[in-house]
Amino acid sequence: MAKTRELRRRIRSIRKTRQITRTMEMVSTSKLKRASDRVTAARPYARQLGDVIGRLLDPELRERYPLLRRPAAARRAAVVMLTSNRGLAGAFNVNLIKEARALVERLRGQGTEVELHGVGRKGIAYFRFRKEPLASTNTEIGDHGTIDDAGALMQPLQARFERGELDEVYVVYAQFRSAMSTPPGVLKVLPIEPPSAAAHTHGGQHLAPDQDEENGWIANYALSPSAEQILDRLLPLYVRNVMYRALVETAAAEHGARRTAMKSATDNAGDMLDTLSRTYNRARQAQITQEIAEIVGGAAALE
Amino acid sequence: MKAPHLRVSVVSPESTLYEGEADMVVAPAWDGEVGVLRGHAPLLALLGEGSLRVRAADGEHRFRIAGGFLQVANDVVTVLSEHATAGP
Repeated sequence: MAKTRELRRRIRSIRKTRQITRTMEMVSTSKLKRASDRVTAARPYARQLGDVIGRLLDPELRERYPLLRRPAAARRAAVVMLTSNRGLAGAFNVNLIKEARALVERLRGQGTEVELHGVGRKGIAYFRFRKEPLASTNTEIGDHGTIDDAGALMQPLQARFERGELDEVYVVYAQFRSAMSTPPGVLKVLPIEPPSAAAHTHGGQHLAPDQDEENGWIANYALSPSAEQILDRLLPLYVRNVMYRALVETAAAEHGARRTAMKSATDNAGDMLDTLSRTYNRARQAQITQEIAEIVGGAAALE
Repeated sequence: MKAPHLRVSVVSPESTLYEGEADMVVAPAWDGEVGVLRGHAPLLALLGEGSLRVRAADGEHRFRIAGGFLQVANDVVTVLSEHATAGP
């Protein structure tokens, strides 16, 4: 008796858990859809911006822009670690934390002083628990980062980079390859890695010879104002956009990882229910068999 | 062979606000408004704050723009702006 009741209790509890994980899976699926749309929507802007900067950028101009400054040795670097605010996403946050720790170790091994900036509750909680200091924390962004969030995140780091207080800025984020594949990755935000210059521009004239390989035509762009002034404004846009892409990819990856985790939780709960109900039925059957045997035995004793 | 119209796209990091053909684009450049018609010389200009107007066959589309830039080449007009929203 006691055994069947215990089994019934467990079956009920697992069924309720499965209901929750199944709901979370469905919620993640719909959030994933929206988040991956944002990743896709961010692509045309990123491509065009990179394209234009690639055209404008002259290697000789490098020295003149603080954002392109490339110090001989990195003395001080900042690592921005993106994690999610919520858990129950499988190994998602653990992977990001591991990646961030590996990067910090590597940089410290090269003799660089490293400061870590935490974004997202999960990563912050980990480092707080380990009693390792974080230079700044941010839990406001969540899974809906905007270009302004990216700007607010980068602005202080960029200012310090321009003043020469920081030599490198990295971001640890989750790549969104597909809903199933969300490996952690590292992007170097500063100094700017110039997007592969598809074309080459010359000098600071207001006319820049420029060759477009795709169409095979040569265009003489009129620049307003000068190339230098345009670059001055576009480089910060590029920096912000790198961070923005990291934010939206991480958000999409979070939902993908959570959906995968919740799907396997739901599947596992189903498997457990199967085994448990089989055990329960066997126990119930055994009890009935035993009762019949007792009745038959009792009746036989009366004869 | 030139396309009969301008091909215009208005892109922000969060979305592509407009993509299609148009007869004329008037954009708020950093130093004043700039109008682009078919056959415009290749141009790369910084944008200021103001309203971007795209005149298409189905009427005029208006966007509020703050910052970003405008690129014109080969009758393709690309407007990139971090802060672009539909509306006057």
